[in-house]
Amino acid sequence: MNIRKHFRPWLPMAMLLLTMVAAQIWLSHMRYEVAQSTQRAQQEQQLLVDEINKLRLELASMTRPERLRRLAKSELGMRPPRPLQVIRP
Amino acid sequence: MKNRESIFIRRRLEAVAACLALGIALLAIRAVDLQWLQADRLMNMAEKQRYRQFTVIAPRGAITDAKGRILAESIEVPSIAAIASEIPQKDMKKLARALKMPVARLRQKLDGRKGFVWLARQVSPETAERIMALNVPGVRQETEWRRYQPLGPQTGHLLGFVGVDGRGLEGLEHSLDRRLAGIAGTRLVQRDARGRSLPGGIWLRRPVIGQSVRLTLDASIQSMAYTALADGIRRQNAKGGSVVVIRPQDGAILAMASWPGFNPNNFGKFRPDEWRNRAATDVFEPGSALKPFTVAAALASGKWQPDSRVYCEKGQWHVAGHTIHDDHPEAWLDMPGLLAKSSNIGAAKLALDIGAERMHRMLSEIGLGRRSDIGLSGESPGILPPVQRWGPIETANIAFGQGVAVTPLQLATAFCILANGGLYIHPKLIDGDDSQPVKRVLPEQVARQVMLMLEYATSPEGTGRHAVPAGYRVAGKTGTAQKANANGSYASDRFTAVFAGAVPADHPRLVIVVVVDEPQGSIYGGQVAAPIFRHIAESALPYLGVLPQIKKDAPQWKAMPIVAGTEIPATAGGSLYGLSLREVRRVAAVHGYRLRTHGSGWVVRQSPHTLHNLMAKDVVEVWLDE
Repeated sequence: MNIRKHFRPWLPMAMLLLTMVAAQIWLSHMRYEVAQSTQRAQQEQQLLVDEINKLRLELASMTRPERLRRLAKSELGMRPPRPLQVIRP
Repeated sequence: MKNRESIFIRRRLEAVAACLALGIALLAIRAVDLQWLQADRLMNMAEKQRYRQFTVIAPRGAITDAKGRILAESIEVPSIAAIASEIPQKDMKKLARALKMPVARLRQKLDGRKGFVWLARQVSPETAERIMALNVPGVRQETEWRRYQPLGPQTGHLLGFVGVDGRGLEGLEHSLDRRLAGIAGTRLVQRDARGRSLPGGIWLRRPVIGQSVRLTLDASIQSMAYTALADGIRRQNAKGGSVVVIRPQDGAILAMASWPGFNPNNFGKFRPDEWRNRAATDVFEPGSALKPFTVAAALASGKWQPDSRVYCEKGQWHVAGHTIHDDHPEAWLDMPGLLAKSSNIGAAKLALDIGAERMHRMLSEIGLGRRSDIGLSGESPGILPPVQRWGPIETANIAFGQGVAVTPLQLATAFCILANGGLYIHPKLIDGDDSQPVKRVLPEQVARQVMLMLEYATSPEGTGRHAVPAGYRVAGKTGTAQKANANGSYASDRFTAVFAGAVPADHPRLVIVVVVDEPQGSIYGGQVAAPIFRHIAESALPYLGVLPQIKKDAPQWKAMPIVAGTEIPATAGGSLYGLSLREVRRVAAVHGYRLRTHGSGWVVRQSPHTLHNLMAKDVVEVWLDE
């Protein structure tokens, strides 16, 4: 009884301390998890930026005027317009 | 007995205690060794394990045209590297085969080295995958940036190229390197036991991302200019050439192409002399293409009028012991006639009359002899000798474009002044670069008058008739100049053919300069460079929304009001009687009559008797009293 009486004021303190330690561990873990997912997201973002750059380059390459001109002539049988054929550019 | 046993136990305890003490002493010594003697080294090792520096790559900025189309872009590509000492000898053969290089060359790369070695830089992803699949110890895949220019040779000279280390080596890639290139950053992060990054890293150096640059260039017009130039040069079997296309209203360079072309995506396969941007680095004597500015200087001096006449000595004139020739011998020519017939003698007489000072000031103000500083490296300032060195021969020669040298870009900028009504607008290649002030170089009326004369020079009677696309009016001038030999004399068999002009003549949307170096067929600018000009103009103008004006019942070329702004003499009852020759010429020019004259002085007779029923292009014949 005496012992219980003696420790009673310290018990909530010990509980609080334990809770704080547990919370700290949990927060560290969460921080770690978030850091990992941020890293993954950044890598994914970088991959997407690279992909966009490659696609932009491919688009520029596919639509280069000289290629369109060649395709218009060879595939579609088109010719440069005569002056009177240009009504509204 | 009991006493002996207790002694034995005591000795045993003492032995154990001694061992423990020794152990503790050794531990203490080791602790001192680790904590004090080796502390710094071990601390460093621990931190190296816990912390890691990451290099964060900053990609190079893109280059786009005025409409945002990609002209140059960097993408990540794999490269193959190795730690030389870790590659087993037995794997050399298969590694060399995968790298597509002889084993001897691979050994040469690795022999005598222990650390990092590049084996193949900027390879295709498929090649990298194939090499990494071999699983050779010490071989690793790295990532690098590679620059691509989708338009290839069409923009190669202008944009230049980038080396494997990511630095610009030629063209705009070189001159704008500081702006385009990113600066890699370094980040320090803490790692866990499995080597994964922990939160809370710090930047040792923040990366600076390369800026994108938007040019004033139009990829479509660039392509048209390059194609037209290539066709024209192939047809003439010429050595090379260049084209500059400028929008005169704001000086925006819409196209700048050179031939022979080179592919900047594979620049190593071309000779260094094929890399240069001829439009900005190569100078040539402009020849007759400079005459419009001689005429402009004469008109601006106030001593000469558009209808003033010069005696052109029937094709041969001696000045200061030097003979000047004309290709088209003429007697009297007015200013439009001088430009249309491209008379060297007429231009020389004008320059000598107004003086070297005025001529030099004019050429200096239109931008000759100085770089335009549009952001290109290696741009030439051209050659404009100081006025102190201008004697009569030099003044006469410079008047028709000999003894000075210009770049195609300078000539295009100069023609923009005529197209802009006398205003000098600094050319620009980078969009939004409007830092240079606009200044007036010529009176507006003079610029308009010269433009009208240049339109006459492209009429069916002029040397530039092949430059006119159907449905458009062109104000332009041809030029044919002999190239200089190494000893300073002129070569008799090497020429530069030039055509410079503005189109449409009444409201110029484009100024185009075409220079063809050493054509092998015809040598004349009107036959070599003018068709290239026409090809570019007839492709680019509809693209810009400028429609051709075709009138089936009217002539293509209108009569030229050469006396715009001056008083027109009264013709009482349609009679020219009593007017001077100059006044008669004004009347004829304003109404578009074709004039035939006999003698000089005052009109004493005319045919027909009255002008009332005459139309433009009708012939009026006058007889004068002297």
